[in-house]
Amino acid sequence: MLAFLGIAGVIAALIGSILLVVRGISAARGGAANLVAPGRLMLGGAVASMVAMEVALLSDDFSLVYVANHHSTTTPFPFDLATGWAALEGSIVLWGLVLAGFTWAVVSKYRKSPDSLGAGALAVMGGVGIFFFGLILTIANPFEVCVSALEVGCAESSWLPFATTEVPAQGPGPNPLLQNHILMAIHPPMLYLGYVGMTVPFAYAISALALSVPGPEWLRRSHRSTLVAWSFLTLGIVLGGWWAYEVLSWGGYWAWDPVENASLMPWLIATAFLHSAIVQQRRGMLQAWNFVLVISTFALTILGTFLTRSGTINSVHSFTQSLIGPALLGFLVLVLAGSFTLFSLRAHRVATSPRIETFVSREGTFLLNNLLLTVYGFVVLIGTVYPLLLEAFTGTQVGVGEPFFNRLAVPLSFLLLLVMGLGPLTPWGGAPLGLLWKRLRGPILLGLGSGVLVAVFVTRVGWVVLAVSLGVFVASGILGLLGEQIRRRQAKTEESLWGSTKKVVGGDQPFWAGQVSHIGVVLLVIGIAFAANLGVHANVELQPGESVEFTDYTLTYESPFRRQEPNRIVQGVRITVTQGDQFVTTLEPRANFYGADTSGVTTPAVLSTPKGDLYVTLRNLDSESAELALNTSPLIWMLWLGGLTAAGGGVLALFARRRERKPLAERQTADV
Amino acid sequence: MSDRARNGLFVAAMVLMAGVLAFMVSTEPATADRVEAIGVQIKCPVCQGESIANSPAQMAQDMMALVAERVDAGATDSEIIDELLSSYSGAVLLDPPASGNTLILWLAPLVVLAIGIGVIVWWKRHPGTESGAEPEPPSRGRGRLITGGVVLIAALAGIIVVAGSSLQERSGATAGVADLDTQDLDQVSNETMEAVVAANIDHPEINGMRVALAERYFEINDYRSAFPHYLAVAESESATAAETATALVRLGWMAYDGNGEVDAAVSLIDRALEIAPGSQIGLYFKGQILWCGAGDARAATELFNAVLSDPELPTESRTQIEVAQAMASRGEACP
Repeated sequence: MLAFLGIAGVIAALIGSILLVVRGISAARGGAANLVAPGRLMLGGAVASMVAMEVALLSDDFSLVYVANHHSTTTPFPFDLATGWAALEGSIVLWGLVLAGFTWAVVSKYRKSPDSLGAGALAVMGGVGIFFFGLILTIANPFEVCVSALEVGCAESSWLPFATTEVPAQGPGPNPLLQNHILMAIHPPMLYLGYVGMTVPFAYAISALALSVPGPEWLRRSHRSTLVAWSFLTLGIVLGGWWAYEVLSWGGYWAWDPVENASLMPWLIATAFLHSAIVQQRRGMLQAWNFVLVISTFALTILGTFLTRSGTINSVHSFTQSLIGPALLGFLVLVLAGSFTLFSLRAHRVATSPRIETFVSREGTFLLNNLLLTVYGFVVLIGTVYPLLLEAFTGTQVGVGEPFFNRLAVPLSFLLLLVMGLGPLTPWGGAPLGLLWKRLRGPILLGLGSGVLVAVFVTRVGWVVLAVSLGVFVASGILGLLGEQIRRRQAKTEESLWGSTKKVVGGDQPFWAGQVSHIGVVLLVIGIAFAANLGVHANVELQPGESVEFTDYTLTYESPFRRQEPNRIVQGVRITVTQGDQFVTTLEPRANFYGADTSGVTTPAVLSTPKGDLYVTLRNLDSESAELALNTSPLIWMLWLGGLTAAGGGVLALFARRRERKPLAERQTADV
Repeated sequence: MSDRARNGLFVAAMVLMAGVLAFMVSTEPATADRVEAIGVQIKCPVCQGESIANSPAQMAQDMMALVAERVDAGATDSEIIDELLSSYSGAVLLDPPASGNTLILWLAPLVVLAIGIGVIVWWKRHPGTESGAEPEPPSRGRGRLITGGVVLIAALAGIIVVAGSSLQERSGATAGVADLDTQDLDQVSNETMEAVVAANIDHPEINGMRVALAERYFEINDYRSAFPHYLAVAESESATAAETATALVRLGWMAYDGNGEVDAAVSLIDRALEIAPGSQIGLYFKGQILWCGAGDARAATELFNAVLSDPELPTESRTQIEVAQAMASRGEACP
């Protein structure tokens, strides 16, 4: 029954997508076509298929192979819900739903002001929809039914929903790592909202190119979707790091592994795009470049999906084991080749940019920011893809990991931070050096001063000192600018301080929302610098009753414990943490055993304080003693807070009131 | 205070602090922990792109313990790294050297940076004005661009075809011998198979899936993951003779290839040959082990001959074994 509903939903969504393409093209050519109905069909179908999937999971309907092989009756809420996107087939259903949602947003906009640019964008979105719903219907069908059951799980399946089913009584449940922490339920949807949202600016860009619609109209239309996507992508990446920290039990949050890189690449290029879009909207420059960035961002989201979902990372050889890899790679090639061909045919018609007058200007800093972000993105791309290509072509295995990325990414990150400090203080169109110096001297002095303070009182480690120096430089520059504008306003009016602040911030909400994100990045960088450089690590072996001194804590092994929970067996040790004579807390580092999994998922116990985390992992436990790995992560909360703040800035920008501005270069040296 | 004096003060303070910083800040790497520093440079053989310092996998922890041991024993970093790379197949250096086939990794970002700077400078100087560059004559420009697009598509498609076929060729080459006795693999993912196997651990018919899963790991040299499955099948009473024989042959090969234990390997394969006397793969592996592990080219030649006498031997395996047979029969050392 649910298989029917699911497949019917996918077919409806596919038909909706096809109609969107056909009617979208006809409407874009000036014909009259109803685009609302196909949009509705696409959304309705996608919702139906996701609902079918979730109902099947919640009602333990093991007649569906996906449910039989990824779910179990003991999987607790909300992990049963999250199982809907825990494996390949289900995750593409979620992908389809998110795509249909974004498409509906474009349809709604089109309904209010129908024109050819919007119709063309919808045709592109329909095209992307055809690919993904087609994928669900053919090679990644999660609605296959089980025709030969095992005691637990399913041995053989059929794609015919009306095939005679044999229903297993139980399933193995989701991958233990995925049901070990609540973040795993939220992190993928966030990431998908980010990935899929990038389809909207891409669709408008292609539409503008194909129809030769010049100017920033395509940017204006897709602005909100880009912000939504960027914010969710940021959030998704940060939550992914948080999940790794809370679950993977090595005390880190980022290992430059290909799955992480796959999400970072589109983020870097999308961030470049967010900035260069501002340049086009304010100064009319970088029109062609914006097309390149938005096409690249979209292509990188597809590349990321290919890398993570085809199993190619695990082993290049698995590429040929399933059709999903070739399908995604083929789509990627189509997108790249098609878009860039279109771009090279039309760019000279839609993108006629004025040149930059001087690099010492806001647009100059944006150029530098774009250069750095693009090189950064390229570093991550080549580091991720090169070992795969080399192995595919020559069979030679090379490793590219943390040491490589850190050596290139760390300097790039600091340069970006520097530019981030300069940018907001540099006026558009060219900055008088006197003004620049007046604005910069305070932040430079504060940055250097705080660097000295850190070096004297905290640590002499260069990266940490540099992170704090640059961070304070950026933050004080932003606050100084706010102060300067408030003072200027108060000199002219009789407002209260609060009133002036509200007026200044309210006068340019998108700018200040961006600065909130910048502050977030500052916190993030300082958090990373402290946690990565000043953490302490030790492995200890304790017998019950024994204590160990670690940094300024005393850890005492009280007793082992073992308890049965509905879906798992939890086995671990109780550790009392004291500081001086003060009892601080009891930690329970443990291993969780799900189903028949005998190796267990090691789960760290974390004590979070304003100074940072104490992170305890159980490495081994026997009747005699327990082996523990002890870590400290100083100021790591700043990383999480910074990431959330950066995403929050994106959300604020979404709700920001945008002033109508003069489109082109008439405004000379206008501030902010 | 005059503006000038104020600026002077600012500059003086800046210079002073910059001086203090330059004097105080240490550029020593923060990780004083050598074990950790070595660990992040080695890829964990059984994980997805994680270093052995970061992976919770048992194998990674064993390797880290080895690193700690060697550090205590006073070995140098490069000695320890070389030792790890040579004794664990699949362990690779995560810090690619700026030479050989990884030189391009270090050069390419610099080239992109240089191109980027070049484009920006060119763009500023380019004699275009507010109205943009003169549009090219449409016909010529258009033709050229279409050609460019077609070439681009063709190039990308070519790359993919070549990559795909070279992949298939090589997995064919490695699988040629390994696939002799076993059934075809189906479309199920490793994770799903692991889950199904784990959930049906006592099911009498699970051995088939276990073997199939273990074969996949075996093919990519992930012996650590393959081992428990082969072992379970070898010990299972419900396994068919063919399944038991396959498992014993593989266990033998892993004992030799992974741990260098020649005697144990041969005795395991002998057990397999008792159950399935004609096993091509068993005979071939035994030959390889005797030849490469024990230096017994004559015994190897006989075993290779036995395999080659089977008329149903697949062609690609035949070619491979014929080469080995020819070398062994001339008494040459194994390659």
